[in-house]
Amino acid sequence: MANVIGSSIVIDGEISGDEDLIIQGTVKGKIALQESLIVENSGTVEADIETRNVEISGQVTGNIRASDRVEIKSEGRMTGDIKAPRILIADGAKFKGNVDME
Amino acid sequence: MADTSTVIGETILVRGNLQGDEDLTVQGRVEGSINLSRTLIVEPNGIVKAEVSVSNAVVSGVVVGNVTASDSVEIAESGRMIGDIHAPRVIIVEGARFKGKVDMGNIKEGRAPAAPQRPTTYRPAVSKPQPTPRTVATPAKKPAVKPAPARSAGKSAASKAKPTRKKKKVVVKKRR
Repeated sequence: MANVIGSSIVIDGEISGDEDLIIQGTVKGKIALQESLIVENSGTVEADIETRNVEISGQVTGNIRASDRVEIKSEGRMTGDIKAPRILIADGAKFKGNVDME
Repeated sequence: MADTSTVIGETILVRGNLQGDEDLTVQGRVEGSINLSRTLIVEPNGIVKAEVSVSNAVVSGVVVGNVTASDSVEIAESGRMIGDIHAPRVIIVEGARFKGKVDMGNIKEGRAPAAPQRPTTYRPAVSKPQPTPRTVATPAKKPAVKPAPARSAGKSAASKAKPTRKKKKVVVKKRR
C-alpha cells in the first residue's frame, strides 16, 4: 500500500511511518520511513531522509541514510550525503555529496 | 492541472504544515496545520490534530482542532471532533460526536466572508509602546589618566559601580 503526496502538496515538517511513500510534491523537513521512499519527477525534497530504500527521479537536497539502497535515476538530482550499503547512480543523474557504503 | 489526490496511510505520521491544491485523505495521523483548496477526508482510522482550512471536510475519524471550510463540513457517523467549525454548511450525522462551536458565517448578507482570513489565534494589532526615553546616561569611561595597570583601574571602578564590598586597602603599584 503506497502513500502518495500529490504534486500540489507542500509539507513542511516531519513525516514518519511504516509504509512506502511516493512524493510528487514538496516536502521540507525530515522523513523517516521503514520502507521505501520514491521521489518522482515532480517531487522536491529538502529533508534528511532515513529509510530502507530511496529511489530518486526528482530533486533531493539533504542527507540520506538507507538500510538497503539508494538509487538516483537519470532524471534525478541530489545534493547531500548518502550512507547506504548499495548505491546506484544512473547515467544522466546529477549528484553532489559524500558517499559512504560502509 | 493534475487531478491527483493525496493519501496519507495508516502508519504515516505527518507533523508540520501541510498545504496543497488537491484532495487529501488521511488514514494516518497529521499534527500541525492543513491548508487545502479542496477536500479533506479523515477516514475512520485517521487522526488529525491540526488547524484545518479547506473547502470541504468529511470527518469519519478523529479531528481535534478548528476547522474552517469555505463550502461544507460533514461529521460522519464514525466521526469524532473537538474544535470549532466555521463553514456555511455543516452536516452532523446521527452517531457522530462533536464538541465545539459552530459558526455558519454570514447569516445576513454584507458581513464578513465565510472563510475568515485571520488565523484562528487572534492577535489584536497593538502598537508597540515607545519606550520612555531614558535620561540615565552611562558615563563614558574616561581614558586612564593614570598609566595604571588593568588591575587597579578595575578595582577602583569596581568599588564605585558594584555594591559595597569589603573595602580592602588597594595598593596601587605603579609600574615603570
